[in-house]
Amino acid sequence: MMFRAPRYRTLGAGAAVLALAAFAAGCGGSSTSSSGSGSGGSGSASTSSTLVIANAVKVDTLDPEANSVNESIWMDQNLYSRLLQPNATGTGLLPDLASSWTISKDGLTYTFHLRPDAKFSNGTPVTAADVVYSIDRSRKFSGGWGFLLTPVKTITASGTHTVVITLSQPHAPLLADLAMYAYSVVPEKLVKSEGSKFFQHPVGSGPFMVTSYNADSEIDLARNPHFYGTKPKISKVKIMIVPNDNTRVLMLQSKKADIIENPPGNLVSQINKSPDLSVQLFPSTRVDFVQLDEHYKPFKSAKVRQALNYAINRKTIVQLAYQGHAVPGSSFMPYKMEFWNSSLQPYPYNPAKAKQLLAQAGYPHGFNTFLITVSGDVAGQAEAIVLKSELAAVGINVSIQSYELLTAYNKEDNGHSQMGERYWTNDIIDPDEVATFGADCKGGANAFNSYWCSTTANNLVDQARAELDSSKRAQMYNQVQQIVYQESPFIVIDYSPYRYGVGKWVHGFHVTPLGNYDLSLETLTVSTP
Amino acid sequence: MSRFGTVPRRLVHLIIILFGITLVTFFLLRLIPGDPALAILGSSYTHERAVAIDSTLGLNQPIWSQYGLFMSRLFHGNLGFSFFYNESATTVIAQHIWPTVFLIVYSAVLAALISLPIGFRSGLRRGGYVDQSSRVFFTVSFAMPAFWLGIIFILIFSVNLHVFPLSGFGRGFFGHLYYLFLPALTIALGFSTVLVRSLRSATITTLQAEFIDTARMKGIRWSQVLWKHVFRNAVLAVVAVYGVNLAYLISGTVLVENVFSLPGLGTLLVNSVANRDYPVVQGVTLLFAVLIVSINLLTDIVQAALDPRVGQEIGA
Repeated sequence: MMFRAPRYRTLGAGAAVLALAAFAAGCGGSSTSSSGSGSGGSGSASTSSTLVIANAVKVDTLDPEANSVNESIWMDQNLYSRLLQPNATGTGLLPDLASSWTISKDGLTYTFHLRPDAKFSNGTPVTAADVVYSIDRSRKFSGGWGFLLTPVKTITASGTHTVVITLSQPHAPLLADLAMYAYSVVPEKLVKSEGSKFFQHPVGSGPFMVTSYNADSEIDLARNPHFYGTKPKISKVKIMIVPNDNTRVLMLQSKKADIIENPPGNLVSQINKSPDLSVQLFPSTRVDFVQLDEHYKPFKSAKVRQALNYAINRKTIVQLAYQGHAVPGSSFMPYKMEFWNSSLQPYPYNPAKAKQLLAQAGYPHGFNTFLITVSGDVAGQAEAIVLKSELAAVGINVSIQSYELLTAYNKEDNGHSQMGERYWTNDIIDPDEVATFGADCKGGANAFNSYWCSTTANNLVDQARAELDSSKRAQMYNQVQQIVYQESPFIVIDYSPYRYGVGKWVHGFHVTPLGNYDLSLETLTVSTP
Repeated sequence: MSRFGTVPRRLVHLIIILFGITLVTFFLLRLIPGDPALAILGSSYTHERAVAIDSTLGLNQPIWSQYGLFMSRLFHGNLGFSFFYNESATTVIAQHIWPTVFLIVYSAVLAALISLPIGFRSGLRRGGYVDQSSRVFFTVSFAMPAFWLGIIFILIFSVNLHVFPLSGFGRGFFGHLYYLFLPALTIALGFSTVLVRSLRSATITTLQAEFIDTARMKGIRWSQVLWKHVFRNAVLAVVAVYGVNLAYLISGTVLVENVFSLPGLGTLLVNSVANRDYPVVQGVTLLFAVLIVSINLLTDIVQAALDPRVGQEIGA
């Protein structure tokens, strides 16, 4: 899901950085940063069988229908399998439980053929009945992801290895929807008999299974002996929950963790100084943007919104907020996904043009506004400061208002927010989700809370959803992106990457744009540090 | 009235305070903008999905009936169902209480072990070696916030010397003792400063009291005077300080739990507020209130037990 649980930074972070600086200064070494990964399997005799990952956020639940925290979603991908799964680049789908599928000519009937050798970690076979039960269960979960599958009429098992899904209207994103974490397959009998207790020690058909579960401190996984896919080279994965940023970095430096999630930006260069460690960046589907609420009069004018786009220097923001490790944004859609419009260029930095547009819109002397930010979000604060100073140069006086995460979101959602920092991440690889939330004012999210509405965009999003010809879909999404770019109901700032601190003794760790790393855990190796 | 005469009255206070706490936390929590549905949905928030979640969680009921339900459940020992953990709040709290309680008791014991000998010695030999060096040491350690001191300890003892673990709670009693040593020491050092200073000044005051002269004139051995008269009276003065600060410790563990990644109540409370997990926040707040009021009560009882004069002035 798009929500990432808030992280707590203690006031001591600054002080601790000093300590770390002093400590790391002694380490020396050359600074290298690579976004690629080492060769799989070094062939050395000394290989470790356990991988330790330190995550910042505790696990919310192991129940895929109810997951809402990104870290938990990513971990759960290792435990369960779905009919299909996204590929490593996040631009296509791979078979998973379904080895093949056929789509009827009218696009209303999908037939999935399950692999006959698929088994759950307790040895029982995965049947079509389990698949039907799991999809139905998640679909009916209130507040869950059932809304994605609204056009689905029936889901039925035909024999033990065939699942048939019928639709009321063609629905192009269906396969991508079914590859989503919420539609993971669980054993029907066990879930029914054990109820919610099942998810304390779940049984799935993924590459790993849970051997010990403590949501706030440590989750131990072991290789699933019945897994039908590539047998992972490592036999155990230990996921530690370490909320404190500095402690996570110290764990990596002392080699008590092999991989740490999200090292703080200000310690990246310290980590890279150590010859054994590197900070790896993985392109994500995250889009950082600033929503402009049309209830505030100046933002009703497309000229004003364009002026804001010209007035800000995205390169400065990327530099200050992400130390240069993000890509200036153009389209509101994530850049690592199908149908992203590569012909759009980020708005150039042109304050003179901005002033001209403001004057044309009737605001030659600018106006006053406020910007809502999330306190504790270091990158967001840097972004806010750049925005404030650059908008001041064209006469727009921005006051920055920082709130705790949910308070900020609440203020941004209720339609009186003026400007607000926000970000998006994808849950499925199909553009339907982001287009519905960002460009369709009937989609329930008021076009990312901008309350901007374009009938053309609405219609295109609807048509694209029902269009099965992918070249026609590409055209429609290109057009939607073009309209949003031109009209700028929100300012697209940048596409920022996932950040992991990785020991160089880990070979082959990779994160997909959706944030999943389960595919790489099947092949990676760990040499003894 | 006996010296324990205030106890029943304090118990009545306890009930009133707890009732007030339920009222305040229940309504204050709901005044914070952002609700559980927003916490669950984040950027994929739509009105329809939020309504569905609200009705599942019972948040679409009028607020007074929600409070009524909460209170009636509370009388049955049921704190409600955690929105975030999908488990009863009582279970969630029970899972988190042990590290915090262990840490508090461990720190309190360490603090006593550190400060009693040093404080007493400093009072007996004012300006002496122990007095001077402990003054400098504890002033510095007191000035260092717990999260900073914790990181320094991790750097020295875990990263460089590999003597203590970096984070976590360990397994078994001795495992806990080992894993929690650094966090407990971090808290204990801050706590000790106050104790050492108060014990020192209490010792000095007691030494100047007339009954000490009397005891010495009676020919009692000095070591006996020190132990039975000076130490006992001085410690008495420190018990209240100890109790009050112990109560503060409970809220102070939050930061240390964060630095050492301990899955305790402090971490749970902060996370639950951020997630708007109302039942858990209500439960933990209530528990903290019970703990603090009980510690205060216990302090009074201990003081009364140590000092026959307590409660006599109030008389009747």
